[in-house]
Amino acid sequence: MARAAQRAPGNTAGRIGNWIWAVSILVVLFLISAPTVIIAALGMLPTTVAYLVDRGEEKFATFCVGGLNVCGVFPYLLQVWFDDHSISMALDIISDVFALVVMYAAAGFGWALFISIPPVISAFLNVIAQHRVQFLRATQKDIVDEWGQSVTDQPDAPEIEFDHEPQPSGQSDG
Amino acid sequence: MAEEPLEADNAAGTVPPLDPDDAEQFETDGISPQASSGGPVVIRDRYLVDSASPMPELDSPSARAFRAEDRRELGRQLFGLICTPDLPVRVDTMQFLKTDAPLGLVHFVDWDVAFWPPLGQNTMIVVYEQPLGGRVMDRLARKDVRITEYDVPRQIAEPLLGPLQHLATHDAPHRAIRAENIFFLDEEMSEIGFGEHVTSPPGFTQPIAYETLERAMCRPDARGLGTSAEDIFAFGVAIGMMILGHNPVAKIKDEDQIIARLQHGSYNAIFGDTRVPLPLLEPLRGMMNDDAAERWDFTAISNWLTGQRNPTIKKMAVSRADTPFTFRGKDYRNPRILSLQFVNHISEAARTIKDDSFAAWLKRGFGDAAKESAVKGVVQNAQFHKDGFQGTDDYLVSKVATILDPAAPIRYKGFNFMPDGYGTMVALEAVRNNNTAIAAEILTHDIPAVWLALQEPSYPGTSDLNLTFAKLKSFLAIKDPGYGIERLLYESCQSLPCQSPILDKKYVMAIEHLLPALDAASNLADTQQSPLDRHMTAFVAARFSEDIHPHLKALASAKEETSLVGMLSLLAFLQWKLRQPAMLGLSSWVGGLLGPSINSYHNRITRRDIEKDIPGLVRKGSLPELFELVDNAERRQEDRDGYAEAQIDWLAAEEEIIDIEGAGDERLTKAERAGQQAAAMISIVMTMTAVTVLLLIEAW
Repeated sequence: MARAAQRAPGNTAGRIGNWIWAVSILVVLFLISAPTVIIAALGMLPTTVAYLVDRGEEKFATFCVGGLNVCGVFPYLLQVWFDDHSISMALDIISDVFALVVMYAAAGFGWALFISIPPVISAFLNVIAQHRVQFLRATQKDIVDEWGQSVTDQPDAPEIEFDHEPQPSGQSDG
Repeated sequence: MAEEPLEADNAAGTVPPLDPDDAEQFETDGISPQASSGGPVVIRDRYLVDSASPMPELDSPSARAFRAEDRRELGRQLFGLICTPDLPVRVDTMQFLKTDAPLGLVHFVDWDVAFWPPLGQNTMIVVYEQPLGGRVMDRLARKDVRITEYDVPRQIAEPLLGPLQHLATHDAPHRAIRAENIFFLDEEMSEIGFGEHVTSPPGFTQPIAYETLERAMCRPDARGLGTSAEDIFAFGVAIGMMILGHNPVAKIKDEDQIIARLQHGSYNAIFGDTRVPLPLLEPLRGMMNDDAAERWDFTAISNWLTGQRNPTIKKMAVSRADTPFTFRGKDYRNPRILSLQFVNHISEAARTIKDDSFAAWLKRGFGDAAKESAVKGVVQNAQFHKDGFQGTDDYLVSKVATILDPAAPIRYKGFNFMPDGYGTMVALEAVRNNNTAIAAEILTHDIPAVWLALQEPSYPGTSDLNLTFAKLKSFLAIKDPGYGIERLLYESCQSLPCQSPILDKKYVMAIEHLLPALDAASNLADTQQSPLDRHMTAFVAARFSEDIHPHLKALASAKEETSLVGMLSLLAFLQWKLRQPAMLGLSSWVGGLLGPSINSYHNRITRRDIEKDIPGLVRKGSLPELFELVDNAERRQEDRDGYAEAQIDWLAAEEEIIDIEGAGDERLTKAERAGQQAAAMISIVMTMTAVTVLLLIEAW
């Protein structure tokens, strides 16, 4: 308890530090490219939500949603970067429903991937495991057929020990 | 005229009767009809002994005589002695006689074991040259020849002294010297010689008058080999009886004769009431002296023959008590006779010994404080160990009897024997009475050691005898095959044939004959049983000079497969070492028993391979090859290693199966995580691809 109590203030301090860094970077980015930050901030909202709801340590859902969310946002970022790098252009884009649908649909497709792929992979791995078990059972049966049921006993019983052998007939004893 | 035992209740006359029913019985037991029908028997591929031509005039008390001929030298007049099958013979003496027979013995020719049709079994056959002049006693009785007291030195003593000395130098005393066993070797009756002495244990066929006092007190089968001193005593008695022409004590019971000899000395008891010619008085007294140290030796006899004077014979002092001791209503002054009565009446003797009056008599009446002290010590020891064997009446009486008469034989529970007669006694007791319990008890209770310790002066060869009995006792203490009472039998009696019921009637006496006999027995034996029983194993252990301890150890294993391998290995070792030919029957017998040994291999393919190869080796009759097949060390090692590896493989598979099947929710979780990971990877790859493509398009 005491140790948890000691650790808790440290974690909180770290989290606050992270937020300070994030805000600082956002401010710097805003100063460099305000249109990019505006589009990304609004377009990447599904990823932010995914990050918040993803309880896994590896944040697979965030990566999955975020990845495709970037795919949806990236064409509009290119438009801002290469056509008209202005806040008005950014505001036009984010106020365009079609653009928002593209960005959020891409994120939704990411969610769909995240939901649909694991059962498929799981079923696939299950089939592989069943095949492996069958193979191992067959191997065990072959072992028992060749060595007898006692091979399944553990540990091995002591064997016949006989250290004096007669020579085959016809050999000289001299 | 056949030689008859001089006394009716003697142990001689052991030749089994020729019962025609026997032959029928043996025929039904599987012995060839040709053999059972009688006829001549050939031994050593040379000597033909004809069962249809008996020669009763040359019979021995322990062997019947039949005409024999030498097929290479037809002029020789031979006869064969057919030994009693259950009576140990003197093989070591026969081996010596075959190479170095002295003159003055009926000429020994050869010996072998062969099937004797009238008996329906194998037995020892000994071939001698016929003594053409017949028995001296018969010739004297028929007055064909006359021997006076003046002829004795030249015609009897001198020619017979040589062979006695020759036998003595080879530590092979004759031990069958009696008037009836002396022959004229030629028709002219100019040569004289002793008859056979190899067809029974030493002294076995002797009337007790011919035995020294100590050995006369023994059972006939336990008189022991002794030394030339025993031969000289018997020689003296034989000379006396030849001169008299009869046995003056023939009608006296053995026990009475022994008491008389203890009371008056052997010479007086046997010849005291007869008119022994004066010239023979001193020689007979000298040769029959009961004190072995004072008895004439070969030098004294030579002195007599050459006319020189010998030292005056000291009469052995008979110890007598001043006052008599009463036992069972009779007064005794002689402690030796009293000890004889004690061993004949154990329970009464034990009561008497425990009574203080007996010790008091020893001190006051007999004046021997040492004996009194010794007896008191024995009694106290018995009281202290009253629950042990030392407290039994038999032990107490045996020990006290030895204190009273140290020169008398070892006497325990009716077994009266000299230390060197123990072996033949045990053998006969086992073979004829199937009783080895007392003989074994004698060893476990150290009765011979007690007797030897009480000898004053020390008995000749005491340390060797103690070692021998300790060794026999150690064999007896081990119960494994190759040891126990059976080993004791074969170690203590070197000429005892193997008593295994499987070899019944085969008379296997030499180790070389064991496997052939076993091979022949395989047709009739119960092949579900092991061919090596306890008797046979002990016989091999005693007679085979090679080290067979590893085989015996395997044979003694509680595991059937190991025991079978031990049996096969021992038989194979015998066949290989003795260079014996193919044993088809025995191989088949052994091959049929090897199932458990084959099954001791884990690998079933190996088992099938061995089972497939066995018939071929059985047909070759080679036990070593059979052993090599069944217990090949390399194959065993491969099997062991393979089995261990198979166990590991099986276990690894089992663990993996458990890992796969037993994981449950964990496996599902793992699969889900893997799916999520895959989805994230797909997403990232798609993003990178899309970003790259878009950048490239924009750049163009």
